Amino acid sequence: MLRAIGLTKTFGAQTALDRLDLDIRPGEIYCLLGANGAGKTTTINLFLNFIAPSAGEVQIDGIDVTRDPVATKQHVAYIPEQVMLYGVLSGLENLDYFSSLALGKRLPRERLLQLMDEVSLDAGAAHKRVSAYSKGMRQKIWIAVALAKQAKAYLLDEPTSGLDPQAASEFSSLLKRASEGGVAVLTTTHDLFHAKQTATRIGIMKKGRLVESLDSAQIGQTDLQALYLQHMRD
Amino acid sequence: MIALIARKDLLERGRDGRLYWAGSVVLVLLFIALAVGYGRQSEVRAEQKAAQALDYKDWLSQDQRHPHDAAHQGMHAFKPEAALAIVDPGITPYIGGTLWLQAHRQSEVKFRPAQDATGLQRFGDLSVGWIMQVLGPLLVIVLGFNAFAAERENGILRQTLSLGVSPLQLLWGKALALAASLAALLTPAALAAAVVVTLGADAGEGLDALQRFAALALGYALYLAIFIFLALGVSAASSTSRVALTVLLALWIGNAVIAPRVMSELSRHWHPSPTKLEFSKALSAGLKSEADRAWQMAFGTTERWGRDVPLNKWGYALQLDDQTGYAVYDRLYGQLWDTYERQQALQAWSGLVLPVLAVRAFSMGMAGTDFVHHRDFTTAAETHRRTIQDIMSRDLVANADPLGNQHFAYQAGPELWSQVKPFDYHPPAAIWALRRSLMSLSILGGSLLLTLAFAYAAVVRQRAL
Amino acid sequence: MRQEMRLLLAERSLWLVSALFLLLIGYALYNGVHQTTLRDRAQAAITTDDARTRADQLSQLGRIMAGREVPSPFQNPADPARMGGGFGAHHALMPSAPLAPVALGQTDLFPGQFKVTYQSKIHFIHANDIENPWHLLSGHFDLAFVIVYLLPLLIFALSYNLLSVERESGTLKLLLSQPLALRTLVLGKVAVRAGVLLGLAVLVPLGVLLLARPESAGAGTSTLWWSLLVGAYALFWFALVVAVNAFGRSSASNAMLLVISWVVLVLIAPVLLNLGVTAASPAPSRTELATRTRMVTIEAMNRYSKLLSADYRHIGKPEVLLPKDGKIEMSGRALASYSIQKQIDEEIQPDLDRFDAQHARQQQLVARYSLLSPAAVAYEGMTALAGTGARRYAHFHDLMDGHHQAWKKFFFPRIDGGIAITEADFPRIPRFVWTEEDARLIDRQAFPALLKLVMPSLLLLGIAAWRLRSYPVV
Repeated sequence: MLRAIGLTKTFGAQTALDRLDLDIRPGEIYCLLGANGAGKTTTINLFLNFIAPSAGEVQIDGIDVTRDPVATKQHVAYIPEQVMLYGVLSGLENLDYFSSLALGKRLPRERLLQLMDEVSLDAGAAHKRVSAYSKGMRQKIWIAVALAKQAKAYLLDEPTSGLDPQAASEFSSLLKRASEGGVAVLTTTHDLFHAKQTATRIGIMKKGRLVESLDSAQIGQTDLQALYLQHMRD
Repeated sequence: MIALIARKDLLERGRDGRLYWAGSVVLVLLFIALAVGYGRQSEVRAEQKAAQALDYKDWLSQDQRHPHDAAHQGMHAFKPEAALAIVDPGITPYIGGTLWLQAHRQSEVKFRPAQDATGLQRFGDLSVGWIMQVLGPLLVIVLGFNAFAAERENGILRQTLSLGVSPLQLLWGKALALAASLAALLTPAALAAAVVVTLGADAGEGLDALQRFAALALGYALYLAIFIFLALGVSAASSTSRVALTVLLALWIGNAVIAPRVMSELSRHWHPSPTKLEFSKALSAGLKSEADRAWQMAFGTTERWGRDVPLNKWGYALQLDDQTGYAVYDRLYGQLWDTYERQQALQAWSGLVLPVLAVRAFSMGMAGTDFVHHRDFTTAAETHRRTIQDIMSRDLVANADPLGNQHFAYQAGPELWSQVKPFDYHPPAAIWALRRSLMSLSILGGSLLLTLAFAYAAVVRQRAL
Repeated sequence: MRQEMRLLLAERSLWLVSALFLLLIGYALYNGVHQTTLRDRAQAAITTDDARTRADQLSQLGRIMAGREVPSPFQNPADPARMGGGFGAHHALMPSAPLAPVALGQTDLFPGQFKVTYQSKIHFIHANDIENPWHLLSGHFDLAFVIVYLLPLLIFALSYNLLSVERESGTLKLLLSQPLALRTLVLGKVAVRAGVLLGLAVLVPLGVLLLARPESAGAGTSTLWWSLLVGAYALFWFALVVAVNAFGRSSASNAMLLVISWVVLVLIAPVLLNLGVTAASPAPSRTELATRTRMVTIEAMNRYSKLLSADYRHIGKPEVLLPKDGKIEMSGRALASYSIQKQIDEEIQPDLDRFDAQHARQQQLVARYSLLSPAAVAYEGMTALAGTGARRYAHFHDLMDGHHQAWKKFFFPRIDGGIAITEADFPRIPRFVWTEEDARLIDRQAFPALLKLVMPSLLLLGIAAWRLRSYPVV
């Protein structure tokens, strides 16, 4: 579903991403681990065609994203670290707007309320202005947009950083439910615990290169930590 | 999709204070301008009409007198103030509206209202036109400067684009939202103006005034559209809202405040007008050489009114003198006025990049307060003056010249005066004005295309990051 | 302060703004000097032309007296009715004041010369100069425009974030941890910026003027007032900037607030003030004046209709055009025209006085309420000092009225008595002599203008000082 083939991105003389190969199938949660500047966000940006690859190719559902960026975006949902919404509009209005942009048509009100419910935002919150929302609540609205879109793949950029533990765990379960429904997920993080908890596969990135790709079920939390620290040291 | 984006932008703007305070300031000014304009105009027009009627009555009720003295008393031509002067007085404050049609010389328009005002007049006139030309773009900028920049700064733009929305759809959606909020704000003012203009127009000219108003409104719509796309383009091209605002304000000041003055200086330089002395010398020289030729042919002398022209030829001589002058006046005033029009055309062309100059030309043109309309009036008045002269001279040739050694002893009566019809001037129709303003309208259109191209390029190239 | 200077010099914005300002001043001065030179040249041409005409008339009169020429009836230098009318008329001219190039003011709207005849002045004071009305509407790009409209914006560009940027970047804390009062810091910052802008605004024009118009060196008082006025106007805007900064908002809201106040004070307030003044004291109707003039003319023409019907006698007897024993026979129609014009002059004068009185009243209103807009105060003050404003034109009209009286006094008795103009009379024909207005008048107008700028500035500075005491450093 999400696929990178020899993906390379250079900014001037600096190589941000070096010949990355990835293939994430439906139902998989692939977690990219790495320090700041390892190339995680660059990978996400390349999947969204916000930047153009220097070499290699990115495919979503078999379509090259540089060839038809708008069509490929219909299949993915992107959830940034900081979800930003229109502060003067209510949560429901934000959901209404963004879901209509994603689908090209407005959803009926009942469906919107149902989506709010699915991400466990109550009706009281739905009508409050978003400027009063916490970070987690804003993120839930955005997940509701992803649900509305019925995206086949999720791209997540540091989704849990800055969330309180309860919100983070709520988020993880939402993600798991989605992947059980056949969604392919690519998420970046530097939170090892979260990676181990949610991911089915884990990749470790260093200086633009994927240095390790593991099956999450086959490695323990402590081993993962040791492996990660070892890579960072080298 | 575009409608969805526009709907959200409108919803958001409706909850933002900017639309209300900026909009209400502009609205209040617009309504003051309309009220003041209407009050002043109804007074001026009534007065002009009364004066014009009185003038003709005075003409008809002349005693028995020599026709040339009647020509010296002459008639007045009062320029009827255009119905749309309420909306855009144009050059009205700087050009008089009173002509005294007298014997011998083509008269110049007198009594410029600005000369009866204080120096503050030079800051501008509070009219709908001034508000739209100067403050209109500012309103657009205040509403639209952060349309893209703010969403890029806080990351919403990135999210929106990740949903598969194309940047161009965003551009059109935001443009639509801006246009809709301006329309919501300005439509009441436009309707009020339309009513006031129709009320103020002479009987039977209401429809014409409405047509002119519709065209004028179209011009301002184009003008504001230019700034909508400029604001969106700059907003998309700027790294932050602050940069966008700074750039847009600089462009606005350059356009609305600096450009008219600089372009006036340049056009004056490019197509210089003669000085008063040069002009009157050229006129005198032209008149003299034409008359010399005519007098030499008719009387064998170039000396005017001397001993070689007997009194029984004075009627004929007067006619000759007048009629040889007509072509000279036509040529020299024609040249001067062509210079004015060339100066203005040069400035209108600069409207491609400085749209205020194009919209100013178009607005005045449609309001009937520009130089082309003034020229039409002056020409009509001068034609009337010549008609008076010709009727008087013809009568002298027929009745005074046969008297032999008498000339000024001859007196004509009311039958002669009534041969001259009253001066009844009606400004040309809307379609005439539109045809003459097509250039400035196309320049406005061209300018819109340019900004549209700029906005397209800026939006497509903009970084989501 | 020296620190601040060094800081500012290192900033690109100072150089950018200064270069822009210099460019604007340069172009404005070029326009001012260019237009003033054109005007002076046009006036010189008129003077030369007048002198030549007079000399030609004198030599023609010589030939007539010597019996070598018979004049034409309408252009006879011996005939006082012709010499006092358009044929012999000379121009009254208002020369450019030394500082004229800095503010072109009303020079394009009000004619600076009138061809004075024995007729009522209604016939000659409306002879306008040739200028495209579109240009009159636009106005000139002169130094007064640059100072009044653009200087405030440049001040904003340099200092809208005077304090807010220090606070936003955290340097304010560092600065104030030194033995330095906030007020001293603000003062230092403003002084450096004002020094640069005012230095350019005052010194560059002075230099250019001295080079282009050396005679302006003599106008010390006006120049001093001009510099003070520019300084006070800049002070107002700096005071506003400081006051806005003292409220401790973000740089962005400061910028917004400043631009709004500029729009209100420079663009909207003068226009509203003009509207108010016109509404409170409207000029009498010109349409009515035209009607009045015609009615007076008709009345006078009817009164002298007998003289008008008298036929010219020179056709059969050209010798009537020649002076005899110091007397000259004037034609009936010439006498009629003279009598008619004299009557019009007498009867229409009260109407014209009403216009002048009204104009003076409007000017008083402007003087009283211009306080509402510093831009209006500065603009009016600058045009007054440049000698291109309402007051000097009114002075010109007064001088011209005096000349008009003298002119009539010279010609009327000669026309009434049928006395021919002789060659000896020529030097005695009244000439218009320009005398500059009383210098004290300039002081009397400039001082209140200065006050009207300084007072609100002090008020703003007071507010700023009060707010600065509770300025949030963090």
